Amino acid sequence: MNFLQVIFRGLWRRPVRTGLTVLGIAIGIAAVVALVGMASGYEKSVVDQLDTVGIDVVVSNMQGGIMPKAFEESVREEIASMPGVGEANATLMQMLSVEDAPMMVVYGREWESFTWEQLQVVDGRMPRDARENAVVLGKLAAEVLGKKTGDKLQVEALEFDVVGIVDGKSVLENGAINMALPRFQAASGYEGRANFINIRVTDGLPPEGIESLCRDIEARHPGLRAVQAGEVVGTSQGFRMAQAMSWSTSLLALVVGVLGVMNTMLMSVFERKHEIGVLLALGWSRARIMSLILCESAVMGFLGGVVGVVLGAVTLAILEQTPFVRGFLEPDLGWTLALQAVLIAVAVGIVSGLYPAWRSSRLSPSTALQG
Amino acid sequence: MSAPAVPSGEIVYEAAGLTKEYDDGRVAALRGVDLTIGQGEFVSIVGPSGCGKTTLLNMLGLLDRPSSGKLHFRGRDLSGIGDPAAYRAREIGFIFQSFHLLPNFTVEENVQMPMFGLPGSPRERRARAVELLEAVGLGHRLDHLPVKLSGGERQRAAIARSLANRPAILLADEPTGNLDSKNSAHVMDILLRLREEHRVTLVMVTHDQELARHGTRIVRIKDGQIVSAS
Repeated sequence: MNFLQVIFRGLWRRPVRTGLTVLGIAIGIAAVVALVGMASGYEKSVVDQLDTVGIDVVVSNMQGGIMPKAFEESVREEIASMPGVGEANATLMQMLSVEDAPMMVVYGREWESFTWEQLQVVDGRMPRDARENAVVLGKLAAEVLGKKTGDKLQVEALEFDVVGIVDGKSVLENGAINMALPRFQAASGYEGRANFINIRVTDGLPPEGIESLCRDIEARHPGLRAVQAGEVVGTSQGFRMAQAMSWSTSLLALVVGVLGVMNTMLMSVFERKHEIGVLLALGWSRARIMSLILCESAVMGFLGGVVGVVLGAVTLAILEQTPFVRGFLEPDLGWTLALQAVLIAVAVGIVSGLYPAWRSSRLSPSTALQG
Repeated sequence: MSAPAVPSGEIVYEAAGLTKEYDDGRVAALRGVDLTIGQGEFVSIVGPSGCGKTTLLNMLGLLDRPSSGKLHFRGRDLSGIGDPAAYRAREIGFIFQSFHLLPNFTVEENVQMPMFGLPGSPRERRARAVELLEAVGLGHRLDHLPVKLSGGERQRAAIARSLANRPAILLADEPTGNLDSKNSAHVMDILLRLREEHRVTLVMVTHDQELARHGTRIVRIKDGQIVSAS
C-alpha cells in the first residue's frame, strides 16, 4: 500500500459525499470553461474577421456602450485623405433581432469597398449596386434565419430580397447579414451615419507609422478611437465587459466550490478524529496527517477539474448550436484552457483543504483516540 | 506516597514527580509519580479504574504531556522533544483495549500503517506485515476488514501492528480488557512470546491481577500515586 492508496481510501469511505463535492467543483469549473471558452472564442472570431477582411486600423466611437455610437459618415473622407491611409471605408454595424432570430449582426458596407472582397458567393449573386434593395447572407446566418436565395427578409423598417448566400471565411462574417451602406442606413434610421471606419494603411508603413496615424486620427476627431487590428479585442469595452462578467461569474462558482470542499473536508476531519488519533499514536507526524487531508482535497479538486472540463466542453458544444451564439463566435476550448481549468480546480482543492488540515494537526492524540 | 520502583539493567524510562492535572488543577490524574523502567523489563501497572494507569501510559508514549515533573527516555528529557511522532515512530508500539484498527483498511494494511515514513518500499512494508500477521496466526485473514474479525483476532492484528515499526517499547493498555477468558489467554500467550522474540520492553496496564503476574515487576497505582512496586 502506498500513500496515494491511503488518500483514495479516505475519499472512498464516503463515496456519495465525495461524489457530490467533486460534482460541485466540476460545475464551477464547467462554468469557468464555458464562459472563458466563449470569451476567447469571441476574441478569436473578431481577430479572424479582421484578418480575413485585411483591416489594419479600426476607427470607432466606443464611449458609453457595448455597440459603438454612430457618427457622420463624412469622417471617412477626411481620414482617407490622411497620409499613410491606403484605403478607408465606412461601415454601419448593428446587432438586431431579425425576424425569428433573437440577435443577428447586420452590416451596411460601403459599396465597392474592400470589405466586400472576401465574401465569396456560394449561391445566387451579389447586390447589383448600392441602391438595390438586396441583402446577401453569410452561410451561417442563412441557416439560422432559415432563408435561401429568392426569399424576403424584414430588417427593421424595410423588406429586402435575399439575392445570395456568401462564405465570409470567418464565423462573424458567415453569421452576418450584409447590404450596401445606404440601404442599411435607410432601414435603421441612421441616414448619413456609420459606426466604423476600416482602414488599410499604405504598403510598407512601419508599426510606428501606424501607431502615429492612430494618434493623428484621434487628435483630429476627438471622441473617436483608432485602434490597430491586433488590439481591437483587448480595447473593446464590450469584450472587456464580457470578460469581466465571465471571470466574476467564474470566481463566484469557484468560491462556492471552495466552500463545498472545505465543508466536506472539515466534516471528514471531525468524523475521522479517532482515525487521526490512531495514526498519531502509530507514529504519523502532524505534517503527514496534514498532507493526507490536503492531498485528499487536492485529489477531489483534480477529479472535479477533469469532470468540469468535460462538462464545460459539452456546455460549449450545446451553446454553439443556440441561436444566440451561432454566427457570433466559435467557442474556443483549447488544451491550454483545459489544463488551466484543471490546475485551478487543484488549487481550489488545496486552498479548501488548508483550514481542515490545520484543524487536524491541532488534535491531541489522547483526546482524538477517545473519538 | 509514591514508591520508587527499581529496575535491573539499562534504564529506559525515568520519571520524577510526574503530575497530570485537568480542569485548571481541580482534577489530578497523576500526582508526583516516580518510576524507573529498565531495558527488557515487563512492567505491569495495576490499579482500579480511574487511578491514572492509562494517563501514565499515555505520558510514556507522549500521547499526552505532563503538567509538571520530568520524564527521561534513555537519559533524554522527553519534554524537550519537538516532534513526538518521530519518537513514537522509532521507539513505541501501542496496543489498545479497543484495538483501534482502522475500519476502512484491511488487516494487512492496518499493520502497514506504522511503517509509513520509515525506510522501506511498499513491497517491503507488505512483506513485514504478512510476516507479523502469520506470527500471530492471522496469515489467512490478510485481506479481511477488521469488522469481519472476532475480538481476539482483532487484538492479535493490533499486536502485529504494534511490532511493525520494530519498536524498543511496547505500551499495552488493557490488551485483554475486551476479550473473553479463552481469547484473553491466547492473546497473552502471543504477547509474551513476541516480547521474547523481539526483545522489547513491555509496559502493560491492566486491572487483572492474574495477567499482571506475568510481569517481571508489578507497579500498583491508586489515586494517581504509586502505592507499591515489586
